[in-house]
Amino acid sequence: MKIDLKQYGAILTSRPAGREAALAMKTHVKPAGGEKIELDFDGVVSVGPSWLDEVLSALRQDYGRDRVICLPTKNLSVIESLKVIDI
Amino acid sequence: MKTQTRSKILQIIQKSGGTRPSELTRELGISPQAIHRHLRYMVEAGQIEHRGRGPKTRYYIAGAPQLDQALHWCATVANPAESPRENLCETRDVFTARLSHLSALTKTGLKEEELPLVISVAGEIGNNCFDHNLGNWRDVPGCWFETQSTAGRLWICIADRGQGVFRSLNRVDPSIPDEQAALITAFEKTLSGRSPENRGNGLKFVRNIIVADAKRGIACRSGAGLVEYGPLGRDCRIELARYPDPPVGTMTLVLWGLI
Repeated sequence: MKIDLKQYGAILTSRPAGREAALAMKTHVKPAGGEKIELDFDGVVSVGPSWLDEVLSALRQDYGRDRVICLPTKNLSVIESLKVIDI
Repeated sequence: MKTQTRSKILQIIQKSGGTRPSELTRELGISPQAIHRHLRYMVEAGQIEHRGRGPKTRYYIAGAPQLDQALHWCATVANPAESPRENLCETRDVFTARLSHLSALTKTGLKEEELPLVISVAGEIGNNCFDHNLGNWRDVPGCWFETQSTAGRLWICIADRGQGVFRSLNRVDPSIPDEQAALITAFEKTLSGRSPENRGNGLKFVRNIIVADAKRGIACRSGAGLVEYGPLGRDCRIELARYPDPPVGTMTLVLWGLI
């Protein structure tokens, strides 16, 4: 299932906002069986590693690393954030 | 002779951070007409630029930021009532709202594809102010957040009157000896001032972005510590070091080339 991140704001930077978003996702995101969770950054202006770390950590804790996927994007803030988170 | 005079004018402007023609007349002992002739030539040559009108006109080094107000706030102001509202973000919500104003920078030369990076860099630095000092400010809560675009250069200044980087990190790693070492740790190692929470990658992200391009730089001053990164880091360091008093909290200056 796909999560449309622009629903959480155009600028996604702080840890508190990331934690809040993760809590909201946990409430609404109910993937069936082994279904993957796809994070869609389309329409998001900027993402910071702090926000993304909170969201990815929370989702991976519940569904495992392999089931949480960041969809390809040209947004440089997403690309650079993933470089420091996923090491 | 003309070159010598212009060189002296540049030195005076550089040292003062911004000079009125009347001050140059007095200091150099030459006529106002001659000073204005030199200034006009230097503006056309792209060496200096003027801001303000009439008697309030001041001349500055082209492309240099005006940080007097920010440096003064960060180093000396202790009365919250004196804090200028236009640059002060008292809460994280205000700071986040002002981050969205950065979108307007694309009208002053920032490339569309670089806007997400500029916002996330500013966001990480500014959010750090709140993450590490919430409920623990020295006096004025919040952070100073200011941007200036001049002569193809974007300057972003973010400062706080919090505990400083050393106090934050020394709690987690008492082996960090001083303010300089604390700043290096903050930008180069994964150690969070909010351990045991798994944090500490924000400033590494910022450093990665800055060092990746020849037209970027950053300097950060906290107490007696001062670090710089990126090809233009030295320009930032010079600006931060201009004010003699160290900041009571932390002050960061980012330089982003627009051309």
